[in-house]
Amino acid sequence: MRQQTEQVRTFGENDSLPVVTKTITQEKINRYADASGDHNLLHLDPAFAATTQFGGTIAHGILVLAYVSEMMTTAFGEAWLKGGRLKIRFRGAARPGDTVTASGRVVRVEGGETKCEVECRNQTGDVLVSGDAEVAIR
Amino acid sequence: MTVSLADLPKGHEFAETRFKLTPEWVAEYVRAVEDKAIVSLPDRSYPPLALAACSFRALLEQASLPEGAIHVGQEINFSLSGDRESELVARASIASRGERQGWVLMGIDLNVASDTGKEIMSGRATITFPLNGEVAG
Repeated sequence: MRQQTEQVRTFGENDSLPVVTKTITQEKINRYADASGDHNLLHLDPAFAATTQFGGTIAHGILVLAYVSEMMTTAFGEAWLKGGRLKIRFRGAARPGDTVTASGRVVRVEGGETKCEVECRNQTGDVLVSGDAEVAIR
Repeated sequence: MTVSLADLPKGHEFAETRFKLTPEWVAEYVRAVEDKAIVSLPDRSYPPLALAACSFRALLEQASLPEGAIHVGQEINFSLSGDRESELVARASIASRGERQGWVLMGIDLNVASDTGKEIMSGRATITFPLNGEVAG
């Protein structure tokens, strides 16, 4: 049974968003492939992936981006679902065994819009995802 | 047999597809991405990227991803109504296609509306893949 109430704090400029940390495994990648229907061999087949510039399987970019969305939901609750915007670049690959941390910071609050810088990094600090997220606070 | 995205030109419009976000599929998606935040919201809530994933899944039924395809960028705007069980209508087109140094860079616009015509998601996925189907080593 889900909670029917949400507790969302108010964020101001320069406030950090609550981080989300996940460990990537091949099992999780496979599970996401089944859910999304994206069975690209680069994600699933170690032999094929070994022939690419990545040298092994990598997580779907949109799986890693889901961690950013979870962070935004944690921070802004239903407001994120009812009026959100993401614009990001995938800058690096998340591999099985990696620990991925999504983080962000509010850069502007204006006219009911809250704009944030968001990113995901792996355990060595490599940027995997970077970009902006905006949420309408009504 | 589905065509490959690699064979499609700029301007190609995919056939409109209709789908529903079933509670079972949403649960499968939430398990896959381990979204702990969404479960604290009202029952019918679902992650915005679930909508993107489901509509992209519908797209992949019309055109397969080329081998070695990589997702390099994503823009997405959403305004979810919370009524996840109504029928949704997805439209997609190839908004851009360029070739450089043996790789194709392709932008795919994707829009999802409710069955009443209200837009609930729009966005662009940018992917890249080897021009000749070979994988860069």
